Amino acid sequence: MRLRAIPRRRRAAGGLGLAWTLPAILFLALFFVLPLADNAAGSLAGGGGRLSLGYYVKLLTDAYYVGVILRTLGVSLLVTAICLVIGYPIAYFLVRHAGRWSSLVIFLLIAPLLTSIIMRTFGWRVLFARRGIVNLLLVDLGVIERPLNVLQQPASVIIGLVHVLVPFMVLSIASVLQGIDRRLEESAQVLGASRWQSFLRITLPLSLDGIGTGAILVFMLTNGSFVTMLLLGGGSVVTLPLLIYQQFNLTQDVGFASAMGNLLLVFAVGCLYLQLRLIKRKGARG
Amino acid sequence: MNARRAWRRFARRADFWGLLVFLVLFFVFMLAPIVVVVVVSFSDASFIAFPIARVSLRWYRRIWEYRPFMDSLIVSLELAVASAACAALLGVPAALALTRSRARFADAVSTFLLAPLSMPMIVLGFSLLYYLSWLGLGVSFLSLLLAHTVVSIPYVARTVAGVYRGIGPDFEEAAAILGADRWRTFRYVTLPLIRPGIFAGSLFAILISLDNLPISFFFGSASTNTLPVVMLSYLQNQFDPAIAAISTVQMLIAVAALLVVERVYGLAAMSAPS
Repeated sequence: MRLRAIPRRRRAAGGLGLAWTLPAILFLALFFVLPLADNAAGSLAGGGGRLSLGYYVKLLTDAYYVGVILRTLGVSLLVTAICLVIGYPIAYFLVRHAGRWSSLVIFLLIAPLLTSIIMRTFGWRVLFARRGIVNLLLVDLGVIERPLNVLQQPASVIIGLVHVLVPFMVLSIASVLQGIDRRLEESAQVLGASRWQSFLRITLPLSLDGIGTGAILVFMLTNGSFVTMLLLGGGSVVTLPLLIYQQFNLTQDVGFASAMGNLLLVFAVGCLYLQLRLIKRKGARG
Repeated sequence: MNARRAWRRFARRADFWGLLVFLVLFFVFMLAPIVVVVVVSFSDASFIAFPIARVSLRWYRRIWEYRPFMDSLIVSLELAVASAACAALLGVPAALALTRSRARFADAVSTFLLAPLSMPMIVLGFSLLYYLSWLGLGVSFLSLLLAHTVVSIPYVARTVAGVYRGIGPDFEEAAAILGADRWRTFRYVTLPLIRPGIFAGSLFAILISLDNLPISFFFGSASTNTLPVVMLSYLQNQFDPAIAAISTVQMLIAVAALLVVERVYGLAAMSAPS
């Protein structure tokens, strides 16, 4: 005979009714959904109140703008990949080796998040200046002969973005690694797998969820950032958000900026969808 | 057999030391640009050089006297606190209702409340500017407040929901069994239990708001410029240690806020599961 759990129909004591979510929903409908919808409508407006895909045709056929779109996605992919390569070992160390030092490691990871993006960009500009400390060190060490000009170039943009985003990757991966039973890895080794094999065949596949979460997050955040490109790139890395910023500042072509923003929004919604699928899969697995 | 075990132990050590060296390099990378700015802020030169020759507070005096920095800092602080308060008023009831709900669409509502986190902020700022101008609000503190509240709601809601979920329904059920009505249960049981969550979530919201550039940028005017907006325009025109000094002040404000939460509630409240 099997006992079945009795379904609890009664709402948990103290829990508020869903009506309490209405103020927040209304607020976001008014000041989050409607503005974005309005923006989307604006991007489709032609002359004389007609619908027009003109801005999108320009955006998706003009070689310059296609280049900007591809660069936006390319930079995001590159930054995501670098964050993954750097972040995974850090997350692994944090979970497996840090022990009682783990709160220090977490503190050091979170501390940079307390500083403004402008502060960090400024810091890189001081460090990478032609006669800055990095160049002096490298010349003294004999790594390079003449000072490098890293600033105003894609390399410094990538470095700046990785610096801002890598903590998100580390924390995403660490939270999944935390949940992996170490005994699985140990059993594999008892059964004769080398440390590398047990890592590649057991730990890495089990941590894919964390990698996915972190990668989507970093990709999404890179896609929307422009301050780093503006202050470290010096025009060498033009992406969609930077172009929106410039359109707004200089040309004031609102409709076209709306179209670019809307495209960026489509990318973001795509990422959000992937994120939700990942969460749902995780939930289904228990 | 013995040799193999020794080799294993050696490999494990090598792994550990390799990772440790990598970790140290990583933190040098993470902290270098920040440390450099703090050091430069104490420079007495009128140009930027690192390391600095002499220590002085010259640039701190300069930012104190430079009106736009101080004015915008006050705007930023008011905005951050006000938008966090609005976000708490809207987000806390919603988070409480959703956490204990078993309705099928509760998940969808939660996703919706968190959605502003995933949207590119520059697009949100741009859209809101034209939308709010159309509503007649234009470039004003109220517009800034509305825009920042949109972004703050997810931080408050997520943190409060995490704390509330962790508490479980037992306390509230006990109170109900002992005869407390719903209001008293909420007032004397639920609210004290979730207060750390509200506090931590609001603090997140405040920190995010203080550093927000992509939204605030669109609402810039003499009376509504926030600190990041002023810093950006300053940095685009001048390159002197004043930016380092004001950055350091901003960082100290964030650190102080974090320490207060640490002292009052412990960092556990900050790392609520999302």
